Amino acid sequence: MKLFVRELTDNRCSFVVDDTRPDIVNLLRRTMVTEVPKMAIDEVEFHMGPIRDEDGNEYDSNSALFDEMISHRLGLVPIPTDIEHFTFREKCECNGAGCPHCTIIYVLNKKGPCTVYSGDLQPLGDMSLKVKEELIPLVKLKEKQALLIYATAVMGNGKAHAKWQPVTVCGYMNYPKVKINNDVQVDDPQKIVAILPKGVLDHQKGAFVLKDIAPLEKKDASFYDSQIPAIDGKKPVEIGYEENKFVFSFETDGSVKAKDALKFALNILSERFEELREQLSGIDEA
Amino acid sequence: MMIPVRCFTCGKVIGHLYEEYSRKVASGEQPKTVLDSMGMNRYCCRRMFLGHVELVDEIIPFT
Repeated sequence: MKLFVRELTDNRCSFVVDDTRPDIVNLLRRTMVTEVPKMAIDEVEFHMGPIRDEDGNEYDSNSALFDEMISHRLGLVPIPTDIEHFTFREKCECNGAGCPHCTIIYVLNKKGPCTVYSGDLQPLGDMSLKVKEELIPLVKLKEKQALLIYATAVMGNGKAHAKWQPVTVCGYMNYPKVKINNDVQVDDPQKIVAILPKGVLDHQKGAFVLKDIAPLEKKDASFYDSQIPAIDGKKPVEIGYEENKFVFSFETDGSVKAKDALKFALNILSERFEELREQLSGIDEA
Repeated sequence: MMIPVRCFTCGKVIGHLYEEYSRKVASGEQPKTVLDSMGMNRYCCRRMFLGHVELVDEIIPFT
């Protein structure tokens, strides 16, 4: 298996894998979507009844949205997650009671009139856990309205809810393949060169030459193929797909770095198969 | 009512871009150029902004 990284930033990654099989690439995709964990707000406690500020003004704990709507929006806010540091509550040494290794508690205290933003969520304790996207509007408050919320974030994975899925658009495509049939007589070769994206094909000394296939990556190869006319039942240039070469790309929502998400998914896979191998060796001995 | 936190289809976080977007569009910029400059490349994310009607301000007096 060969790998060429095409793009790698904090929340976006794409690479080309050669010499592999569709089932293996799909296995990686499924693991990335369902198994990579992240922290997300799962439990929200609303303060009910009047809220008073230091000056003795009284506010109503009410807003334009239903409480469950606000909770839902809070759940979707990406929480910065160090996957190595946090654990699932069930697997944590605190036995699910909630400790700094499995739980983050946020406080949101705002008095109207104002817009409540995700940046108003204050983590209890470590300030590095503050939400990075600070400008997500959550709800608006008018005069005499206030919001006092305790929100608990826990670890989860995409199997349970999309809010625990750090990898968003994850997919792969077969790599394009260009086949040149120079025995086909073409009247206007430049016309065919122009059909394909710039820099893919060239026509020199009466023959088509493949210059660079990269501009065709992530493009619909069958569309370009359909645009090339057949002459006497044969196409001068055929565009198809490689069977065992793929372009894999994914993005993250910003809570986990793209590189970490990929590494984590691969670790999960090798752990699972290691487990299976151990179980199988047990059968052998029996 | 309020702009959704994420794109319904792909899950990209878009909520934090909306205020900048509506400010720029209100000042006369083309929605296309604003969306392009924000890195909203997929049409699923773009329609979240283009089709959105911010109704909270009209609802708020009645809450």
